[in-house]
Amino acid sequence: MPDLDDELMERYRAGDEEAFTLLVRRHQQPLVNFIARYINDRDGAEDLAQETFIRIFKASRRYKPGQAHFKTWMYHIASNLCKNELRNRGRRNRYRVDSVVDGNGDSEQIDRIENAPADVAFQPEVALERKELHDAIQSAIAELPEEYRAPLVLRDLQGLSYDEISETLELRSGTTKSRINRARLMLKDKLKSFV
Amino acid sequence: MNCLQAEEHFSAYFEDALDYQALRGFEAHLAECEACQHEYARFQESVKVVQQLPQIEPSFDFMPTLLERLAEERREFGGVKEIIATGWNRLQDGPRRPKWAFSAVIALILIVAGGGYLYQDGFLSDRDSQPVVVATPTTQPSRVGLPPIELPVSVQRRVRNVDPFSRGGVIPTSRQPMQQHYILKQVSYISTSTRGGL
Repeated sequence: MPDLDDELMERYRAGDEEAFTLLVRRHQQPLVNFIARYINDRDGAEDLAQETFIRIFKASRRYKPGQAHFKTWMYHIASNLCKNELRNRGRRNRYRVDSVVDGNGDSEQIDRIENAPADVAFQPEVALERKELHDAIQSAIAELPEEYRAPLVLRDLQGLSYDEISETLELRSGTTKSRINRARLMLKDKLKSFV
Repeated sequence: MNCLQAEEHFSAYFEDALDYQALRGFEAHLAECEACQHEYARFQESVKVVQQLPQIEPSFDFMPTLLERLAEERREFGGVKEIIATGWNRLQDGPRRPKWAFSAVIALILIVAGGGYLYQDGFLSDRDSQPVVVATPTTQPSRVGLPPIELPVSVQRRVRNVDPFSRGGVIPTSRQPMQQHYILKQVSYISTSTRGGL
């Protein structure tokens, strides 16, 4: 049974432009999430996600369904764009933890909390604590060296398999596993005061 | 298994991916090492909180902006294709041009380019057939009026890699006779002694 992404790419190549829009709709959220967690910048993440889709659009004629998975190809392009973006930003630390987490996530939740005080999970203190934890985690991820950050985000936030991560980042399987373990150990130490 | 080795297995144990041998070793170490028990509990907890981070959603104008950019790309791409196609058609089907003119121009370009290439490559020139000849001035202030001294002719050999711009490394020579105060000397830079000098 052919992969749906491959089928959509084939349809698009055959002239069905709606198929590409459908591909974008399927992958826009995970892609924006990946890039935002990787570069720690929500606005920048949207730009890079759009750039990723445009590159896919331009390179669609060269895409060969049997050779790579669409998802790993997409993350491969995105991670390269992220690397370039971070290199361009240089050593300036542009931590935008608030803007990353605020987007449509915690701030909306905080609004809902005010309207539903009876539920313990939606009490302001609990929500603030959670937001503080999320900010701390995002900061800790942002502080990881890049070679550890990308595999960790792909594994723990995007849910890719080790094989998919190896394919995306062009790493050997053993390297992928050891980097993810190392990244988790580093996070454990960074989050000492929270867990 | 020591603590460092146990730490390397944290992820695999967490994901239930250890083989039988490693699993037994790891669990045996964990059972007797309190520090590792504590560290593994924290490891487990931190992985879980990371995995529960909320997903970041794209903003509402993400899709419209992207579709706009894609439409722009399509227009540009279509425009370039159209220009190429139109140009090609015009070249081929110009109304005042005879039909064979385009082919003739292409053939002429190929002939000129091919001829130039062959000439550069030495097929049409015989410069390599000449031995190396270096003109050496022999007229010196103290010997004005005396006949020039003929220096010994050394082994006749081509000197290669002397002129980097000359293909084959052979110094191009002129077939014109040298002037009177010059004598022709065939030199090998390999076998001629410098007698201690440079």
